[in-house]
Amino acid sequence: MTNSSLLNILLLSPLVSGTLIFLINFFTKKTKQYIYTFLALTGSGISAIIALYISYNSYFNHKVFESNLFTWIDIADFTIEVGLKADALSSFMILFVAPVSFLIHIYATGYMDKDKSYGRFFIYFNYFIFFMFLLVLADNPVMMYVGWEGVGLISYVLVAFYFKDIENTYAGNKAFIVNRIGDFGFLGALMLIFINIGSGGLSFEAIFLNLNSIDSATLTLIAFLLFVGAMGKSAQIPLYIWLPDAMAGPTPVSALIHAATMVTGGIYMVSRFAPLYNIAVDISLFISYIGAFSALLAAVIATRQYDIKKILAYSTMSQLGFMFMALGVGAYSTALFHMFTHAFFKGLLFMGAGAIIVAFHHKQDIRKLRGIRKAVPSIFIMMLIGTLTITAIPPLSAFISKDAIMSSLFASGHYDIFAIALISSLLTVFYMFRMLFVLFYSNKSKKAEHPSAKSMIYPMAVLTVLSVFAGFLNLPEIFGGEANITTWLALPNKTLFVSHTNEIILMSINTLLILAVIVYTYKRYAYTDTIMKESETSIVANKFYVDEIYNKIVVKPLYSLSFFFSNTISKRLIDDLILGSAFNFKKLGRVFAALQNGNVRFYSLYMLLGVVVGFVYLFFLLKDVL
Amino acid sequence: MVEKYMILSIILFSIGIVGLISRRNIIVIYMSVELLLNAVNLSLIAISADLGDSAAQVISLIVIAIAASEAALFMSLFVVLFRSKGSLDANVFDMLGDKND
Amino acid sequence: MQNDIIFTILALLTIVSSIVMISAHRPIDSALSFIVTLVSIAALFGLVNATFLFAVQIIIYAGAILTLILFIIMFLNIKEENLPDEKYKNWWLLGTSVIVLPFAIILIKLVTMSDISVNNIPSENFGSIHDVGLKLFSQWVLPFELVSIHLLVALIGSVTLSKRGN
Repeated sequence: MTNSSLLNILLLSPLVSGTLIFLINFFTKKTKQYIYTFLALTGSGISAIIALYISYNSYFNHKVFESNLFTWIDIADFTIEVGLKADALSSFMILFVAPVSFLIHIYATGYMDKDKSYGRFFIYFNYFIFFMFLLVLADNPVMMYVGWEGVGLISYVLVAFYFKDIENTYAGNKAFIVNRIGDFGFLGALMLIFINIGSGGLSFEAIFLNLNSIDSATLTLIAFLLFVGAMGKSAQIPLYIWLPDAMAGPTPVSALIHAATMVTGGIYMVSRFAPLYNIAVDISLFISYIGAFSALLAAVIATRQYDIKKILAYSTMSQLGFMFMALGVGAYSTALFHMFTHAFFKGLLFMGAGAIIVAFHHKQDIRKLRGIRKAVPSIFIMMLIGTLTITAIPPLSAFISKDAIMSSLFASGHYDIFAIALISSLLTVFYMFRMLFVLFYSNKSKKAEHPSAKSMIYPMAVLTVLSVFAGFLNLPEIFGGEANITTWLALPNKTLFVSHTNEIILMSINTLLILAVIVYTYKRYAYTDTIMKESETSIVANKFYVDEIYNKIVVKPLYSLSFFFSNTISKRLIDDLILGSAFNFKKLGRVFAALQNGNVRFYSLYMLLGVVVGFVYLFFLLKDVL
Repeated sequence: MVEKYMILSIILFSIGIVGLISRRNIIVIYMSVELLLNAVNLSLIAISADLGDSAAQVISLIVIAIAASEAALFMSLFVVLFRSKGSLDANVFDMLGDKND
Repeated sequence: MQNDIIFTILALLTIVSSIVMISAHRPIDSALSFIVTLVSIAALFGLVNATFLFAVQIIIYAGAILTLILFIIMFLNIKEENLPDEKYKNWWLLGTSVIVLPFAIILIKLVTMSDISVNNIPSENFGSIHDVGLKLFSQWVLPFELVSIHLLVALIGSVTLSKRGN
């Protein structure tokens, strides 16, 4: 198999399986569920195997896989090739995207078991990973944009999966529309790039070669607009409002799309454009600040949420904030490594939440799910490990990645961002352990109503293992490792140097603080009823009323503007004018019809009138001649 | 001389048109038509006198003959119309028009 | 000089009687004033030496056609209720004459502005029956024959029209 055909199969196998499922679903009435399962798992499984092979080759042999499918548009200066390229960055991405997608596919077969729309779900799920691969493997930003839009579309469709309940559809709409606003920024940046350097070709290499010929003001604008796209896709301030509502979709959707893959699209995009962001340093700093505030805001809100999935959603937003903080100071590989580990532990946490939800008949409020440790012991173990990971307890994987971020932030000299990051991570400890203690360490106890299917437990187990051990892939020198992944990626990181002693001091302080918070949370929430007394109506619990503010400032004026256009202008001005003129035309016709009354005298009068008019006209024409 | 005749002819023609349009009595309408013909005849004769050629008089003779046949037809029309509607009003005979709402 | 006076008198007579004709209420009054018009037109014919047509006009027009009209008017036994009720007759007459006025004025202007009089000297027997008859039966024999067919058709037509339908 040649390199390019491997890439093509990787990309196309989920597309093919998705289309097959669609055809079977569309044309037959009752199909056995296992057919869909087989097709879906084959599609994602093939991609997973090829992805592992490609990453292995890229890491050990430094091979770059390329594939040029066809030329999409070719007009004078503007050429877009549909091309795929698996260089180090893209291989790294598919290294975790493909297997995690496969594991979540397996999980989803258990979660959606016996659901009426089983087939429909897997069509969308497979199409999603097709678009995600397109996003990650594209060798020019236009194809990346195609994948970008595609994952946004599938996200909308999947969030509104249970569309019979209108609230879910609203959530899907919100996800899509807010995403779209971000896409507008991305598209603007693409257009600016095209205007300035489009004649040199639009692939990433060509762009980075010609980057210096753009003036700095335009460069700043391009960098900013690209980040607007990332804001929308990765749920940072101010375009984050869709992420909590998107939890209305089924849990595998939240696990795959809103934890491991789609939301990381923004991070990938900024890393891909790293040469650009190294030049536009103002925007990089801006990115860091946005990341910092998003992390902080999300962490604060999460401390007063009561729905399992919403807590995890805000935690995703917070972790993404961390990644953006690192990206902003130029530590691209660090951010990407955190993204890598985040996919594992966040996917694990969401899967656990989904398993709990299924086991207890779709209850999601943690106040109603207290004391389930005895009922679902395996899930308890895995959630415990997941929570420990996210709070960055050594030696789990997130400890290594998050600590690397904190060191980079400290070394960059922006101590304010470092402080915010520290506070946010301590808040993360607080709200995650709050959730854990309320669910599993409580006086009450509940019986499980559904045993968890094996297809849900096994993928979770795999992810648990990965969460524990994945950190060793990029062990920094301080622990004797060689930072393998950083060297592999070879991104233009800024050199941020922290002496070993400083780093050890930081890590120790961090760990001590984390342990202190855990103890505090234990005292507060384990085996107590504090959670029941927490109010539901405080400002924090209401997410700082951000949605309501947006509604008043943005949505309502737009709505009344469009209402004005549709009613006043379109209906009254244009419609009435046209209909009115048609009506009056008819009336005029009726007036003329009265001329034909059969009265011969009238006819002769009209003839006379015509003749007279003609005569007068003729006279005036010929007056000077005669 | 011929100009005066032409002017007179034009005046008579106009009077004939006025009568044709303004009156509702079909007999008066018919007589106005005859007046039109006569006006034309007058102008023809004037031209004939001017040219010294009798051809115009021949034309005039033929016009008179045609007027005679037209008179016969008109008269029988009057009889028929009067018999069917009992009135001599031109507005009554409006079957050419369409039923207006 | 004499000709002019006679012409003026005759012209006035024609115009006045034609105006009476179109504005009279009863048809019999219109018919009678029409006779006056026709006779004065005949006189005008005679003024330019068209003697044959002078005779023809009186015999056929005034003598045959108008007699026919008078006969029908009297035959139909027209009573007052059969006549149309022309309330606005005068307004209509006035209005129509206003409309026709430009038409007439333009025509008169055309005639006077242009240079149409040729003023040929007529021959000896201009207008006499000999001259007209010669022209009629040599050059204009085709229209003559057609007119006779036309008269035949009119005859048949009028007889057919006035049959009581069955």
